[in-house]
Amino acid sequence: MARNDDMNQSKLSAFLESDTFKGLLPFIGLVVILGAMYYLTDGRIMQPKRLRLLLSQVYYPMIVATGVFFVMTLGSIDFTEGSTLGVASIVVSVLSFYNIPLAIIGGILTGAAIGAVNGFFHVKFRLQSFIVTICTMYLFRGVCAYFTTETAIPASAAIKALDSDNLKIGITVAVLIVAFFLFKFTRIGNDVKAVGSGETAAKFSGVRTDKVKFLAFVAAGALTGLAAFVNVIKVGSITSTAGNQLETQILISLVLGGLPITGGAKVRFSNIVVGTLMYTVLNNGLVMLGFESATQQLIKGVVFLIFVALTIDRKALKVIK
Amino acid sequence: MQGFRNSRFFGFMILAAMVIFFYALFKVLTPSNFGSPANLFSYFQSSIIYSVGGCGLYFIVVMGLFDFAVGANIVLSSIVGVILSEKLGYPGFILGCLGCGTVIGIIIGFLYNKLNVPSMIVTVGIMLILESVAVFAAGGVKQTLAPELRFFSGAPGNIILAALAFALMWFILNYTRIGTYCNAIGSNEFTAKNMGIDVKKYKLIGFALLHFFVGIMAILTVSYGTTMTALTGMSTMSRNFQPLMGTFFGVAFRKYGNPISAIVIGEFIIAIIFNGFVALGAPTTIQNVVTGAALLAIVTLTARGGRGSVVK
Amino acid sequence: MSDKKILLKAEHIDKRFGITHAVNDVSIDIYAGEIRALIGENGSGKSTFCQMLCGIYTIGGGTFTLDGQPVNVRNQVEANRLGVSIIVQEMGTLSGLTVAENIFLGHEDPFMHHGIKDTPAMIREGQKLLDEYGFTNIKAGAMIDSYNFEDRKLVEIVKATYMKPKILIVDETTTALSQNGRLELYKIIDAVRADGRSVIFISHDLNEILTHCDTISILRDGEYIDTVNAKDVNEDDIKRLMVGREIGSAYYRTDYGKTISPEVVLSVKNVTVPGQIENVSFELHRGEILGFGGLSECGMHEAGKAVFGASLDREGTVTLADGTQINDIPTAIHHSIGYASKDRDNESIILNESIRNNIVLPSLDDLAENHILKAGKLNRFAQEFADKMQTKMQGINQFISDLSGGNKQKVVLARWLGKGSDILVLDSPTRGIDVKVKQAIYALMQELTAQGKSIIMISEEIPELLGMSDRILIMKDGRINGEFMRSESLSEEDLIAKMV
Repeated sequence: MARNDDMNQSKLSAFLESDTFKGLLPFIGLVVILGAMYYLTDGRIMQPKRLRLLLSQVYYPMIVATGVFFVMTLGSIDFTEGSTLGVASIVVSVLSFYNIPLAIIGGILTGAAIGAVNGFFHVKFRLQSFIVTICTMYLFRGVCAYFTTETAIPASAAIKALDSDNLKIGITVAVLIVAFFLFKFTRIGNDVKAVGSGETAAKFSGVRTDKVKFLAFVAAGALTGLAAFVNVIKVGSITSTAGNQLETQILISLVLGGLPITGGAKVRFSNIVVGTLMYTVLNNGLVMLGFESATQQLIKGVVFLIFVALTIDRKALKVIK
Repeated sequence: MQGFRNSRFFGFMILAAMVIFFYALFKVLTPSNFGSPANLFSYFQSSIIYSVGGCGLYFIVVMGLFDFAVGANIVLSSIVGVILSEKLGYPGFILGCLGCGTVIGIIIGFLYNKLNVPSMIVTVGIMLILESVAVFAAGGVKQTLAPELRFFSGAPGNIILAALAFALMWFILNYTRIGTYCNAIGSNEFTAKNMGIDVKKYKLIGFALLHFFVGIMAILTVSYGTTMTALTGMSTMSRNFQPLMGTFFGVAFRKYGNPISAIVIGEFIIAIIFNGFVALGAPTTIQNVVTGAALLAIVTLTARGGRGSVVK
Repeated sequence: MSDKKILLKAEHIDKRFGITHAVNDVSIDIYAGEIRALIGENGSGKSTFCQMLCGIYTIGGGTFTLDGQPVNVRNQVEANRLGVSIIVQEMGTLSGLTVAENIFLGHEDPFMHHGIKDTPAMIREGQKLLDEYGFTNIKAGAMIDSYNFEDRKLVEIVKATYMKPKILIVDETTTALSQNGRLELYKIIDAVRADGRSVIFISHDLNEILTHCDTISILRDGEYIDTVNAKDVNEDDIKRLMVGREIGSAYYRTDYGKTISPEVVLSVKNVTVPGQIENVSFELHRGEILGFGGLSECGMHEAGKAVFGASLDREGTVTLADGTQINDIPTAIHHSIGYASKDRDNESIILNESIRNNIVLPSLDDLAENHILKAGKLNRFAQEFADKMQTKMQGINQFISDLSGGNKQKVVLARWLGKGSDILVLDSPTRGIDVKVKQAIYALMQELTAQGKSIIMISEEIPELLGMSDRILIMKDGRINGEFMRSESLSEEDLIAKMV
């Protein structure tokens, strides 16, 4: 009997460690959380008004997460999203008084430039991306704070008038589609995954690894710059706290979405969508249930830890740091 | 010659040269409102708080690990310390901060070993939890350290406590196995295992020690600011990075022998640069720009990987 | 001989790594008070044998008995306690620690009092040891990082010998040392012998072995061959014992006298990679298999990398027939050079990836239509070449990490077949691969050269070089030291003479 139990148990644990299960888990998680929230709120979470609110919180994190997704697929990490969003939002706001397209381009270029700084230091000096982006996070958080020291920076009325769900959905969906296309149907996706799975071997297979890494950071910055535009039309004026802690939120979202921290072949594009949705649903559900913010965060922390323990791919980590 | 270029003395000279350079730079630029002995002393007092945390972080950063829950534990431990101080005075305050800090450290180390998940990820989750626990512990109100318990808020109290912390660090690094083994694990985990070192045990000890130092940092932080408010929303993340900068110095100068002086002087250098800019009339918000740029320059000079190495 | 006491008795020691039988039922007796050389070609199992004794590898089978006590340890510290210590080939000291901490790592107990380490005593003791050994320029209290490779090796020698081990293993340490350092080491092993203890000495330097060792045990392909007295033999005798294996000729080429095309497809001129190879020049002809041989550290592996544009700081030129200069990997691949690394799991295949993506990776630009990749086309491509190589797999989406060494290598070759590379650099193509796959790889090599493609085959296996190459270049100490044309009369001894 006991042996039988052991066998069942080992089968079960083999299943729990299998890629199939780990791939499914984020979806199961999303459905479970959504179901639980639906049940606990008596379906209120699905009311159109609520859904609109929920979605309005999804747009810009999802755009940012799409860029970070490429960086994390490399197995690297980027902690600058929050400060980039802040600085790019300032640029968008200032330029919005002249010309809206110019403001959008200015935001994207600002983000791309910050990404280029990250990529340059990471690639050129072979510094860990984690260390580089902590430094630049500080630096650009300071830049953002410097320009907002006296007063918040307002955006033009014209840009605020653009605030509509359709535009924001449109931009978000467009970003997802383009990124999906690049990831799935061009060599960019293959190259990025190859670097994450085995950088040396990728290099020996003809991948220009340094270029790929640099461009991934630029892309993450550029998309954050675009997200800054979406942020500006929503909030209208920029304070020193713009984008505060966005990087942690994105990291949590992507890990919840099942993105392995080591990057590589096992990343799924769905990680972005599922992760961001899961984070937002959890967030909104807990608010609707009337928990105070500390309780909400406690629950989030526990859910995050349990989820990570279940989904992490330990085989890919030779030494766990 | 090779011996000299790698000696303790040489490492110390580089650090001293950096201090003198930045001091001279700002002294020339703004002679009147920068760098009087009293100024320097106050820069130093603000920097040693971070140096204490930097010492703690050294134990785990040197092993290649990281901890994002440091900031959250500073807040939680100071709140626990302040609450206990209301009934028990100094013993409650000190033991509350240190005890809470260390217990959290042991829990983090235990979870890290049990869950087998990268430390960066585990500690993000724990940071979320600790922040909310701190809010519960504080009962949602600002905790103020009673005026009669503020021995550590300025000289000599803060200097004495920090000096004790540095001495403890020095003792651990030089007079116990822990320092040797943490360094060995960081140098090559496989070789360390092969030399019979219980890697998991020393990682747990590393986390416990880190958060003991975080407890000391909590005492200094809440004494310096006299109040502590617990906030959620990952607001404690930024508290992780000031001590980390000292640790980067310590790790970068590790090969010269004594990381503690590098941590303490490194934090002092950052304080000089920051205050120098403030003296120049830059708003205090420039602080992060300066520290970010200075750090980037330092890691670029000291922490770069070898050619052809794989760096994530 | 009977008056000699057996110190270490190794009985039926065995170790497998996957399908490689690294050590095959080896039994050796080592007597007290002798220096025993352990020699053999690359991969003969001598290092593996020693690393089992001192706990770096687990013992696959058999027993070690030291002075009547069984030795089956999990790490070096346990081995030290039983009286076994080793000086390893690569860097054995740890950065960030002082010299004294390195010497006593894992053995701090004598200096511990109630959890407090008596550091001054440790440094004093360390310095005393260093002085006794005559290494007075090394300071026990200084950081190990402040010393160069040679001094760090000397520290390691102290670390390995101060506790007076019954058996001291010296694993190819001398190559890292200057003449002075070598002399120090010889003094130390002589002292061990004088003390009635023993040394196992691994080296490729036959002259050194004959001068400093008492007895010599020879291993070949993981098997024990013989033990001889150093006094009774000369270098040629040892070389004969090291080789002398039957060549399983069934799967090598049988043709001799093929004329090599005069057409040069690739020429390498004055290539130097600092610290690795020096002034290497050669030409590769159309349709030939050019063999590269030598000892592991002779630079032949780096020469392969240099041709593929993968060396750092390379000087000199690598030029194709059409004048294209090869200076980086993408150019090499684009101009039809393929490369299979000796370090297959790190440099050839992307381990945590599917078979499909491993095969298509270098060909993505060719497969894209207007930069767009279609899954169906990639799948068909991968399937075609995986099938062509008869890769044993569940499907092309299976992860390559699940495959055996042989099948991994098939995937690597499938990738370059798919790319249609005209020049293949194959570094140790049959390393750790079973006979059947070996045969398939040899057959493929002949098929490719018949099509006019050219192959550089770098190999540590002499029979393979003799059996497959049209021409063989032997390297020694980073330089080309000899060239041989394919011939039936060419023998292993001829090649070895140029290697060592």
